[in-house]
Amino acid sequence: MLKCNLIRRALALLALVFVNAAYADVVVIVSAKSPITSLSADQVSKIFLGKSSTFPNHKPAYPIDQQLGSPVRDEFYEKVVHKDASQLAAYWAKIIFTGEGRPPKLIVGDKAVVKTIADNPDAIGYIDSSALNHSVKAVLVP
Amino acid sequence: MLKKFCLALLLSSSAGISVAMADQNGVSPDNTEVSAVTDQTMFEFGSYGTVGATHASLNSADFALDAPMPTGAGRSGYLSPSNNTLIAAHVNATFTPDLTAIFQVISEYNANGNYRPEVEWANVKYAFTPDLDIKVGRFALPTFMDSENHDVGYSFVWVHTPFELYQQMPTMSVDGVNAIYHFSMGEAENTVKLIAGQNTTETAAGIVNSKNMRGIFDNLDFGQATFHLGYQTRDTSTQSELAGLNGVWVAASDLTAGLSYDPGSWFFKSEWLQDRTQYKTNAMYASVGYRIDRFTPYLMHSQSSAASAYDNALPYLNMAQKSNSVGVRWDFMKNFDLKMQYLHITLGNNSTGYLVNIPDNVSLSGKTFHVISAVVDFVF
Repeated sequence: MLKCNLIRRALALLALVFVNAAYADVVVIVSAKSPITSLSADQVSKIFLGKSSTFPNHKPAYPIDQQLGSPVRDEFYEKVVHKDASQLAAYWAKIIFTGEGRPPKLIVGDKAVVKTIADNPDAIGYIDSSALNHSVKAVLVP
Repeated sequence: MLKKFCLALLLSSSAGISVAMADQNGVSPDNTEVSAVTDQTMFEFGSYGTVGATHASLNSADFALDAPMPTGAGRSGYLSPSNNTLIAAHVNATFTPDLTAIFQVISEYNANGNYRPEVEWANVKYAFTPDLDIKVGRFALPTFMDSENHDVGYSFVWVHTPFELYQQMPTMSVDGVNAIYHFSMGEAENTVKLIAGQNTTETAAGIVNSKNMRGIFDNLDFGQATFHLGYQTRDTSTQSELAGLNGVWVAASDLTAGLSYDPGSWFFKSEWLQDRTQYKTNAMYASVGYRIDRFTPYLMHSQSSAASAYDNALPYLNMAQKSNSVGVRWDFMKNFDLKMQYLHITLGNNSTGYLVNIPDNVSLSGKTFHVISAVVDFVF
């Protein structure tokens, strides 16, 4: 009986650890008002690299970046776009200095990103999943 | 005219100025205010450049990286800074979300043997729809996959773009009109560019004039792969007393194809060109690289054929050569990289390759030599 309890407690603890780990993950979000329900990593990647200016439903898409060097940004670009900070800087050097486009708008911090995206059905961003609330929805959990 | 227009743009407003690369790097103030996602700064300034030195194991000629350079490393000196050293200043202007302009001035070693700044790009772009843009002014001729950014060393892995290929087309810009149409095909993104215009390029061999330039270029992004196809025609003439070229207009056409695959931890890139005038020349390169943390070691093979004459055309200056290189890019700090490269070149029979400053009595046929380069690239 005691053994059983111990195992149950250990499992509960393990579950908690896993849940916590999951909550430290980046999620890609759009406004709760947006008709978009899910996106593939490839679709998100194209929007953030400026290769596509629209969502798959042909509505305009405005990507929002977080601060360079922030863990959430590094995780997003590693998992979704498969580029590290210097690869990304090299990529944008090509685009900017040929006038072909400009990098996503920068908004600092999960809270500010959530607030901006909640108010803009055309915006798309990424945050730590712990900052999720009812005003936005996750469309990709990489 | 273009210069005046762009200077007027620069001076006309002090509104919203920022640094182009700094925006991307998150230097903006920490504010938590909600701002409209479409807000854009009107003027963004940026700069890029390269500082470097090259050594070539030659004493009877100079190794020069670009067609306009009159001297380089070798006969003129054990080490040459001129091959790899340049600086550019850039401004992006956003007047409305649909109306934008760019102006870029570059200072690099030129045909006159100095670093006098020249206008690299100056154009106004209007977006008729989110998928259709028209550019008017001076813009890049997108012959190759890195034509538009060939001077931005920070934007690619190598020390320089493969010159056996890129020197086939010394004309890098067009004064004219460029229509850019973008569309999706399932999972793929496709961009078609149509260009029309003219150009004058000063090279070490003489002044190359191009008129009636027409071209269609297609870029297809599919997953981690990019495909590039291009076809262009023009009338061209080279005015050079040195080479005995008298400026006769010749019809020329170029067919280009390229492929790049970059899943993140490694890359493969290869391009090919066939240039047709009275002669036919082929050129290509293939390169692979592997990323280990901040280091990207790479290998490249590059070659250009001798120009083969159609019918009874006269023999032509032969530039056939092959090269193999090994190098590494090190992203040692934010916005800077350091690159080192060893390049081994073999000239074809009766070929002088892309060497310059060759004395009359020297034969370089079949010669092999090496070039060692070290450069630092930066962007701001």
